[in-house]
Parts: sequence; C-alpha cells; structure tokens
Amino acid sequence: MSEAINIGTIDDIDEGEARVIPAEENGTDQDIAVFHAEDGNFYALDDTCTHETASLADGWIEGTEVECPVHSAKFCLKSGTALCMPATIAARTHKVEVSGQDVLLYPAVSVVDA
Amino acid sequence: MSTTEHCPSEANAAIGKMRGPEHGPKNIDVSALVDTEGGLIDRSIYTDPGIYDQEMRRIFARSWLFLAHTSQFKKPGDFFTTFMGQDPVIVTMDKTKTIRAYLNSCRHRGVRLCRADAGATKMFTCTYHGWSFDLAGALKTVPNEKAYPEDFDKKDWSLIEVPRLSEYKGLLFANWDKDAEDLEDTLGDMRYYMDAMLDRDPEGTEVMGGVMKWELEGNWKLAAEQFATDWYHVNMSHASALMVMSPTGKGPKTEIVATPGRQYVSPNGHGAGFPTHPKSRFDAQAVHEHYDYEALRERLGDAAVEGPMTTGHATVFPSFSYLPVNGSIRIWHPKGPNKIEVWAWILVDKSMPDDVKDAQRLYNLRTFGPSGIFEADDGENWSEIQAISDGFITNSVPLNFQMGIGSEKEDGVYPGQTSELYSDAAGRSFYKHWSKLMNTPAWHEHPAPAPAGE
Repeated sequence: MSEAINIGTIDDIDEGEARVIPAEENGTDQDIAVFHAEDGNFYALDDTCTHETASLADGWIEGTEVECPVHSAKFCLKSGTALCMPATIAARTHKVEVSGQDVLLYPAVSVVDA
Repeated sequence: MSTTEHCPSEANAAIGKMRGPEHGPKNIDVSALVDTEGGLIDRSIYTDPGIYDQEMRRIFARSWLFLAHTSQFKKPGDFFTTFMGQDPVIVTMDKTKTIRAYLNSCRHRGVRLCRADAGATKMFTCTYHGWSFDLAGALKTVPNEKAYPEDFDKKDWSLIEVPRLSEYKGLLFANWDKDAEDLEDTLGDMRYYMDAMLDRDPEGTEVMGGVMKWELEGNWKLAAEQFATDWYHVNMSHASALMVMSPTGKGPKTEIVATPGRQYVSPNGHGAGFPTHPKSRFDAQAVHEHYDYEALRERLGDAAVEGPMTTGHATVFPSFSYLPVNGSIRIWHPKGPNKIEVWAWILVDKSMPDDVKDAQRLYNLRTFGPSGIFEADDGENWSEIQAISDGFITNSVPLNFQMGIGSEKEDGVYPGQTSELYSDAAGRSFYKHWSKLMNTPAWHEHPAPAPAGE
C-alpha cells in the first residue's frame, strides 16, 4: 500500500481538466493523470493511453469518461475500462480521495479491486 | 497574437528519392490574351482549363492569399480549414499562440486530415490509419510504428507547412513562396485604403458568427476584377436595390447616379473604388449614428473618411475582396475555370456596442449576404457571362476594358495612382499583374536537382 500524495487543492484542477503527476513524483513507473470529472469527483488513471503513445490528461473529459486526444479511444474514469476501439486494454486506476480541500492520490492503489 | 513570418518547420520536406515528372507542365504565353494598353481581354482566360491550371501554379502558389481573421483564433488548438487556390489548408494556433497553416492532407496516404470547418482540437488525427499530428505539425503517433524500416523517422513526415503567414490589422494572409516579398510591401499604398475599414476603431475589428459560403457559376476573376474596378455596373445592375435603399418616397437621386469618386490603381493588381460625395453613404442607420466622424477624421484623415470609408469596393490581388460600409470581407475560392465558391465573413469594429454590431450584421445580410439584394445582382451577371462562354464564336470575341484609359494620375489627395470612380483602370492593372505572373516562372519551377549517381 503506497502512501497518499497531496497533489493540491480541489481548486487547482478545474472541472473538465486534468493534471499529470510524473512517474518520478508518484513513485510508480508511469505518469498518472488526475482528472476532475464532470460529476464533480476526482479520478486517476495511467496517463499514457493503452493504445498508442498519447496523454489522456490532454484528452476530452465528458461526464465520467475521457476520450484520448489522438485516436478517440474512450476510457471510464471510474474503472479504467476501455469503452471503444481502437483501445482494447483497460487503463490502470489509482485511488483518489478528497480530504477537506486537499486532493490525495494513492499511486498504484487500484480502485477496481478495492 | 503572432504569425509565422517565416516557417519554423521545414516545409516541403525531403521526399526521398522521388522526383516530379521529367518535364513540368506546359505553360501558355498569355501576352496575346491580355492587352492592357488597348483595354482588351480575350475570353479564354475565363474558360481555358490549361490557363486555369497555370493560375494554380503561377498565381495562387506564389501570391499572398487571405486565410482568415485573427479573431477566429483565441486559444491553442482553435482551428479553421480553408483553401489556398485549390489546396486545402488547416489554419491553427499552436501552443505558443502562433498562428500556423498546414496542407490539410495526411502525409501517409493523403486523406484530408481535418474535415471540420472550424473548431478546437489537441491533435489532428487522420481518420484513415490514425497518423496523428500535433499543433506544430509534427507527426506524433504512427500506429504499428515497429513495422516501419529502421530509417523511418517521424521528423521527415511532418505536415507540409505554408512557409509564410502574415497579418495585416486582423487579416491573415499566407504565401507558399518562402521568398515572397513581404505582405506589407505587396499591399503598398493599398494599406491606406484598407485602413479605412480595418483601423476605424483603435481596438481593431472582429468577425461575427460563422462563414457564409455559396457557389456561383463563373470564373473567379470576374468577381475579383469587379470588386477592384467596377462601380460602373451599380446604376444598372443594382437599380432596383438602390430604389429599395433610397429614403421612402424620395425617388431616384442624381447625386447617387452621378456621384463623384476615385479609384485606386495598384501596380500589384489591387484596386479600390469609392464615392467621395457624402450622400453616397449607405450605412445601417445605427452604425452611422455610432461613428464619431470628427474623431475618425483625426484618426484616418479627412480624405479617408470622405472616400474609402464610404460605400466603396475593393480587391486585394488575387482573390480577397471587401466592402467597408457593408462589413463584408470575402474570398473567391476558384473551383475550376467555371465555378467560384464565395466565403464571406461579417466584419465589425470590436468596440461597437452589441446592438450596433447586430445592426451591421443585418445590414450586411440584407445587402451582400448570400441572398442580399445587391449580391444576387452581381452573382447573376457573372454566371450569365460564364454560362455562354463555351461557345466557340462567343469565346473568340474580346471583352472591353477601355473606360478611363490614360486617366490614372497622382491627384495629391489619395495615395498612389488613382482614376475616376467610373473607370476600368484597376481592372486593367489587375490583368496586367495577372499576365506578368502568368508569364513568369514561379519559385517551384526551378529545375529539380538530379539524383545522386546520375
């Protein structure tokens, strides 16, 4: 169980936007994207699309889904599930908690198995 | 807001061992088709497919062409797709907020890369195989890249960038010739006439709403030339529209029909005509009342307010035209020798209150929108010329451009050479410049180097 990283306050990431926490800061081997979804909640996935090299944080957030900016694959922000072609592999999820005003990221703590 | 005065990326990247055809296309000597001294034009310049193809190579591939208005690009990723001649281009704002333009064709199999008219994006991804390019035109993603040979380098397959992109007071122009004369020098004295529309407001101008697009039968030059030089048609072609616009019950007015005015004749093929009689103004009332004419006289000078700011017409060679009072800017996209696609924007001063902008918009639509009462008259004329010009005998009878021969002079009031309002002078100059370019090899015609080993 990795420790939580305080990545800032809830006002630091606008709704519909995302921020990348680089691998060297999150302690895993992958950059992690933290999304402020349109349901008001925060979610985190590996930033790199499972299809080709692209940053999901640069993608389009719609509801609780993110669309890859390059080839339009869609992922569920809650479960990481690949929702459409050309992606077939789920994106790895990471737990996010909001504590007061702070957004806490738990790198490598899967939401799916929790 | 900045523009690429010079292309930051290597446009026209190496194409490996490929060379073009051994012999370039055959060029037509147009000197026997355009007699600007005598004021005669051979009709084949409007109909001949060979001449049209040569125009693509020697006019559109080397002239400053209007792309868009800077107000269409507010944040990185905003894009607009248009044409330079018949070449499709994407105009977009990159991450450094520089406006750049790229050939809208995937470097892989050539599909049109961006199919939307306008919008916002992070990447331009081809819908065929998924090659994906960033806002700087760099190829970022190639699906199944591992199957390409070792010497495959994505850097060699960036989008083809238009090497020159330049702004004049909100108007974006681009040129495929990297060594072209600067836009401002090409415009020359034309800038004074353009300023009467672009520089009325210290805040500048912006476009309203989307782009209106419509198709016409007709050669692109018929429209471009008319906007450069032709006030002559107004009293005949627009008689009914002028009656509609006249104050109710006042009847026809001699001062409108016989208005004095001047016509600017640019050596680079531009032209602008304008009445200089204050009664010749046909503004939207709300716009007229909005203007502080004393302040405008201080800002632009008396002559600009009394002349080019009035109900004028103008063309920037080759295919950009505008009407200051109607707030209409437009490009005549050539679509073959017989067809024009008109793309028209509504231009307003930025600091106009919203109700004044709306009055300008409605006035634009009523007069020179796609179904405007003046626009319809003009389109009908051009289409009627084109509809019959495939006749062999018809096409062998030259057209007359003799009005005002020898009338061009420096009048001490308006910059450059001007003629009378009723004159073909700017038309003759338009065709003189056209034929000079048509008979001069362009930048892309230098012989290709022979491949190594030969």
